[in-house]
Amino acid sequence: MNDLISVLPEAIVTATAIVVLGVDAAAGEGRARPWLPFLTVVGLLAALASPVWWPASGLHFGGFVLIDQFTTFFRLTFIVLAVLTAVVAPTYLRREGVPGAEFYAIVLFSTLGSMTIALATDLITLFIGIELMSIPVYVLAGLQRRDRYANEAALKYFLLGAFSSAILVYGFAWLFGIAGSTELAQIARAVTARGLASPEVVVALALVTTGLGFKAAVVPFHQWTPDAYDGAPTPATAFMSVAPKAAAFAAILRVMSTALGPVQVDWSLVFAILALVTMTTGNVVALVQTNVKRMLAYSSIAHTGYILAGVAALAAGASAGAAVLFYLFAYGIMNLAAFACLTFIDLEGTRGATLDELNGLWSRHGAAAISFTIFLINLTGIPPTVGFLAKFLMIQPVLDAGYAWLAVAIALNAALAAFYYLRVVVHMFMYDPDAKAPRVDRARVLSFSLGIVALITILLGILPDPIYSFALRAAAPVVIH
Amino acid sequence: MIFAQPVIDHALTLLVVIPLVGLIPLILFRGDDRAAKQVAIVTTFVELLVSLVMLGQFKVGEAGFQMTESVTWLPSLGIRYEVGVDGISVLLVVLTTLLTFLSVLYSSGGAIKQRLTEFMAVFLLLEVGMVGVFVALDLFLFYIFFELMLVPMYLIIGIWGGTRRIYATLKFVLFTLAGSLLMLVAIVAVYLQSGDAGSRTLSFTQLVSSPGRFTPEFQTWAFLAFALAFAIKLPMVPFHTWLPDAHVEAPTAGSIILAGILLKAGGYGLIRFALPLFPSGAQQWLPLIILLSVVAIIYGAAVSTVQKDLKKLVAYSSVAHMGFVTLGLFVLNVQGGVGAILQMLNHGVVTGALFLFVGIQYERTHRRLIADLGGLANKWPLYTTFFGIFVLASLGLPGLNGFVGEFLVLVGTFAYKGVPISGLVWGPIAAVGVILAAIYLLWMFQRVMYGTVRDAYKDLPDLSAVEVACAVPLVALTIILGVFPQPFIRIIEPSLERMLALASAASVAIK
Repeated sequence: MNDLISVLPEAIVTATAIVVLGVDAAAGEGRARPWLPFLTVVGLLAALASPVWWPASGLHFGGFVLIDQFTTFFRLTFIVLAVLTAVVAPTYLRREGVPGAEFYAIVLFSTLGSMTIALATDLITLFIGIELMSIPVYVLAGLQRRDRYANEAALKYFLLGAFSSAILVYGFAWLFGIAGSTELAQIARAVTARGLASPEVVVALALVTTGLGFKAAVVPFHQWTPDAYDGAPTPATAFMSVAPKAAAFAAILRVMSTALGPVQVDWSLVFAILALVTMTTGNVVALVQTNVKRMLAYSSIAHTGYILAGVAALAAGASAGAAVLFYLFAYGIMNLAAFACLTFIDLEGTRGATLDELNGLWSRHGAAAISFTIFLINLTGIPPTVGFLAKFLMIQPVLDAGYAWLAVAIALNAALAAFYYLRVVVHMFMYDPDAKAPRVDRARVLSFSLGIVALITILLGILPDPIYSFALRAAAPVVIH
Repeated sequence: MIFAQPVIDHALTLLVVIPLVGLIPLILFRGDDRAAKQVAIVTTFVELLVSLVMLGQFKVGEAGFQMTESVTWLPSLGIRYEVGVDGISVLLVVLTTLLTFLSVLYSSGGAIKQRLTEFMAVFLLLEVGMVGVFVALDLFLFYIFFELMLVPMYLIIGIWGGTRRIYATLKFVLFTLAGSLLMLVAIVAVYLQSGDAGSRTLSFTQLVSSPGRFTPEFQTWAFLAFALAFAIKLPMVPFHTWLPDAHVEAPTAGSIILAGILLKAGGYGLIRFALPLFPSGAQQWLPLIILLSVVAIIYGAAVSTVQKDLKKLVAYSSVAHMGFVTLGLFVLNVQGGVGAILQMLNHGVVTGALFLFVGIQYERTHRRLIADLGGLANKWPLYTTFFGIFVLASLGLPGLNGFVGEFLVLVGTFAYKGVPISGLVWGPIAAVGVILAAIYLLWMFQRVMYGTVRDAYKDLPDLSAVEVACAVPLVALTIILGVFPQPFIRIIEPSLERMLALASAASVAIK
């Protein structure tokens, strides 16, 4: 019974997905549609709240499941992101005729997978979580199946995702071979005994890093990202660009700190270099994009680099883990919302607006332009926003761990990124709209909810302490001693 | 006074909050230009009054921070909301509130033709950042306000600016941001060096309480990062290239604030944070900064001389005048320092006024090229009188404020015993800058105001009541600061001595 209570939030999310599908089938698509996002949000919030009445902690299911502050923090993050997705998606889905029930159910299933990653202490649970998180997202990318780009996105994402899963599971096999167990704690013992000098540990480490690097879109394993993000329906892109990335980092933190913790310090230079390459590549390529959706896709690669810098700095202690968690939370909200702002522009297919199509958005839909600007300022890292605070908190452990050059690289990259983020603001505020500018959707729910989210990002930028102290506590289990 | 005690106790917080409160009615009445004007004028006027009350409460002669407030803000990081003013910052706060009020007043007189509500909202947001920069005593808080000034000014230039506004505003933002992000890394480094985990702080008073906290090597790099951010803001040669573009394209009110306040944030940052925190680091870079200051004075003046565009001329003259500020600060003596602070105030008043008058003129003639103008003195007696006073003040005529600051800076420079080149070399070179200023300003005044007036300008009106109302306080300050600088020096001097003591004592301790 205790075992079941420990995964109650996950169970509720599963049940919600099934209810969403069932209601849709029973009531018919037209009548059910307005209620589906509502149902989804209620289910997710119930899942989030349930541990208040039925708390659980420690190991369950014979060591397959671990509930700690780390798990709780990621549950919060994933649920918040899924709720946001459900709130901002309906406008676009209705306009483009994308089936609603499938969309929400897929988001819920993927969220379930992400949550499973956060509670894994065993390679098997972890792998199930990763697959459960990824496979629904492949479907999500291709949900607008009559659109050529959506098909390309889904296929590319699926093929490379399957490929990376294969690499990952191969790495897991090596770890199993080394330790004779799939438990992360056992693996840690075996790895400590051998050290980084032994070739099998290096092979396992390289394979796992590559596999998880694919999922998180780390350069040079990022090639699928721009096309997949660009071609997927925009609300799906918003979700894809944040939740799977956060889940991948949850996996990286757990595996790197628990199983490979003993050798992590020696491996950190690899992460530092990957971080530098990732952020620089993402930003430099984003500079030359004229399509805003594609630009945001590259920018999300750059943000992966910043987050990876925190992983490289794990030796600095809890502040590094907390910085990664805080950044994931902040990035999740601001990046999802930034993509969602693109759904105001009514364009054919999955295509995102080009810079010119955003010209004069301010005079056409002021609230949309102002919200989008606030999210772009967040992404740039200008105070007083949560995006700034995330960068501030990230630079701290990176310096503390002795990677001064990486901290300087983060600062210079942020300045570089300011150019393309602010260029969007230029087009929205400082150019007049063209005669053939696309229609702007005036959906009230969308502009209202994005306005609230924009306010929240500013509020969290001024009063981040609740989230940050939670992140500090949540990072305790992944500190490397 | 009726609102005495609570207002005085929290005067600085009030100053930060009042413009934010003003935003609420602006949002409620959006689209109604008349209401927007009234709200903005009332808000900035109340702000000005509160800052004057604060100045009235300021105890002259004390070196330390006054009216301080300190509240735990981010307990898990040990970061505090800490504000206070001393002799260096108190006058800059009043200058900020005064110039903002005058800019808003001027802009509501018809200078801003479109989207007035939004303009006023952005202006109030800008004021929060500017006041905050001068009162923040925690580096984290300071950085937030420092960056908060960025986005509003970006929008002001980019939306309400001239034809090349987009190029100008992006250049402004990217220059400033590149510098300040490197400073952010240095701030985080300072935070990490400030103690062990759990006792770390970014509070200025705590950071300077134990000199020798930072190793000389650390100071060298940290000072460089801080100085770079402030040098770009100031701007120092060779980081000044954004300034002429930004000034030329900015609307008049934007130019006034940019020259009057934003540049001062750079000079203020140097004397408040960079020098006292990293004294031995400052020693490392001092010869270079003095060289660049003198270069700025001569180069700025020389380039001003050949400008064809009025706004560009005033912009380049700012580069020269701000050269005096850095020169005065980095000769590290009291005369130079006091002169530098006075020069910041004077430059704020006078250059703010010059931009105001160039703007007034442009609004009537729609010409900024000096060659297109001429003979305006015949038609505009009031304008000519005011403009003439500001031009004379800017070139450093004794009896007006520009003279006092530059004179003290030169005195300080002559007393500077620098290695390898002493102040006896730098002083005369800098003095040449004063002469050049007379040349380019008087020549400009002659070409614009005298001669025969063009037919097209014959029927243009002289100053309106609102414009006179904007000019009078500035003229008054120009004369008061020029004739009675002593009260101001008495406010500045003790605090400046304290900062200089921090900047030199610690470096002695390390040696």
